[in-house]
Amino acid sequence: MADRIFAGAMLIVTLAYSVIAFTAISAPFQYDPLGPESWPRILSIVAIICLLIILWKPDTDEIGVAGQTWFRLAATVVLLLAYGQLYEPLGFILSTILFGTILSAMLGAGILRAVIFGIAAGIGGYLLCAVLLDLNLPQGDIIEALFENAPAEQPANAEGAS
Amino acid sequence: METVLSGLATGFGVALDPFNLFLVLVGCVAGTLIGALPGLGPINGVAILLPIAYSLGFSPESALILLAGIYYGAEYGGRISSILLNVPGDAGAVMTTLDGNPMARAGNAGKALSLSAIASFVGGTFAVILLSLFAPVLSAFAVTFSPADYVALMVFAFASLASLVGKSTVKTLLGALIGLMLATIGIDANTGIPRYTFGIPDILAGIDFLIVVVGLFGMAELLTLVEQQVSGRLKSLPVDKSFVNWADLAKTKWTIVRCSVIGFFIGILPGTGASVASAVAYGTEKRISDNDGTFGTGDVRGLAAPEAANNAAAGGAMVPMLTLGIPGSGTTAILLGALLMFNIQPGPMMFSQRPEVAWGLIASMYIGNVALLVINLPLVGIFARMLTIPQQYLTPMIAILAFIGIYTIVGNPFDLMMITGLGVFGWFLRKLDFSLAPVILGFVLGALFENNLRRALSISGGDWWILVGNYKSVLLYVLAILVVALPIYLGRRARRMEGDAV
Repeated sequence: MADRIFAGAMLIVTLAYSVIAFTAISAPFQYDPLGPESWPRILSIVAIICLLIILWKPDTDEIGVAGQTWFRLAATVVLLLAYGQLYEPLGFILSTILFGTILSAMLGAGILRAVIFGIAAGIGGYLLCAVLLDLNLPQGDIIEALFENAPAEQPANAEGAS
Repeated sequence: METVLSGLATGFGVALDPFNLFLVLVGCVAGTLIGALPGLGPINGVAILLPIAYSLGFSPESALILLAGIYYGAEYGGRISSILLNVPGDAGAVMTTLDGNPMARAGNAGKALSLSAIASFVGGTFAVILLSLFAPVLSAFAVTFSPADYVALMVFAFASLASLVGKSTVKTLLGALIGLMLATIGIDANTGIPRYTFGIPDILAGIDFLIVVVGLFGMAELLTLVEQQVSGRLKSLPVDKSFVNWADLAKTKWTIVRCSVIGFFIGILPGTGASVASAVAYGTEKRISDNDGTFGTGDVRGLAAPEAANNAAAGGAMVPMLTLGIPGSGTTAILLGALLMFNIQPGPMMFSQRPEVAWGLIASMYIGNVALLVINLPLVGIFARMLTIPQQYLTPMIAILAFIGIYTIVGNPFDLMMITGLGVFGWFLRKLDFSLAPVILGFVLGALFENNLRRALSISGGDWWILVGNYKSVLLYVLAILVVALPIYLGRRARRMEGDAV
């Protein structure tokens, strides 16, 4: 059943893919016998055949995930999406502290330990990656705004660090 | 022979540069650490560290040397969790648990770890030596391949993938198609027409390879960890003081040699990686030398066989990747993508155009093998500590590492959303028994496949018969049909014979 649902959903996506390949994609002029649309057309036809075979003869009945696990998975995905959204506005350190604390607490760490882990991950990660390895991590719009509001003692420094 | 020696001299000149030597060591240690994390297989470890290694801004050969070190280290780290936890990090390590874990339970954990290190070292070194002999010859032959031959080669690669990897042929094929379809997103390089971009500027240039790798492997792995999370920590067996002795080595020496040969040649076949090699090697060794039925109860030969084959296959998989530009396994597909990111097209021309990269990589594999043996024999106890990191801290750490890696590529938060989305998709694929290696292989090979097909038809002016125009492509199509048909035929026959017996 799970196979059929997945194959059905994939079939809709693939059909949309093939409709676009057969109608929308075209080059205004070209010299080659195969244009940009030919390859997606071939792929979509083969993929549709594969999907029909799976719909006809599915082999995975169910994926065996309990209701509570679904909830935990969904919460993890929501947390990841929120982490991604807040990455630039809050900056690496703050968003990582929040994310690390909430996720580790959700997965069963004690509150105090989760907070310690979050802070260690946020500050340690920033020191290791942005300072030591010189990688590009967001400093955070909020922190930058604070820097700008503060009396501009060392604007060159703030600029250089971002 | 002369090209091999001069090539190796170039390569060691690059790899023995003090900075590069340092990178091999760093890569081996970092790879072992991340590979030893419970449940996190080598391929996921490489996927998570790859963007960070890329963003450090080294020259291509240094970055590749670092990556090769990580790859080797992760492969090694994976076996620590197989032996001590009985949790295989990836499909290739399943066979290692069969005899490795019983040995550790019988109080020989130190012996099992050191023996597996030596078996891997021999298998890996053997494969690198054969690789340096084979690769120049094969690449000299591959220069004569026409676009039509490349199309045939690609069909053969996907056919062997479909027939040998994963549980269901159709699903493996569909996985490869999903990868190929993902690769068509973005502006078509030949005509400048955007395809499937829906006006979203972030994907005009196509989906970045790193995003697909980290999403499908790293993030999907993370969701699997959350799903399977058992409260508290997994029970790890302690590393004791026992060590491999000469009697064990004498007992396993022919096993190691045989399995190295098996592993290397299975690894060369496109699409089949370490998992097939270690299974075949274990099976063969069991048939040859398991006279008193000790395999599966902690026999040293049962541990040495898959380990030697595993690493020999990892080297063998490099042969088609370096000479033809067609990776033999999921992990080499990732390395191929890494080469492409540095604007190096792997394939027959690489040995003549970028000898310092090709040979530098090969030389660093020699050094990486030695470095791992030296690092791991004394330090294995420290690496084994990684196994006791509780899941509730490990899972957020993986996410943080993945986000750092992806963000540092171009600094676009949209990419973070994409890896999360691809992670969910990859998790569903895994739950439905799709294997993910074909997806990544399809994604990496998509552009190459399409461009060669279009080029072939441009040469013939639209005549499709060019695809079967010479003996090389015809031979490859015949091989492709054989590799799909033979297992089906053998399976039917075996079933029929069973039926007769009843």
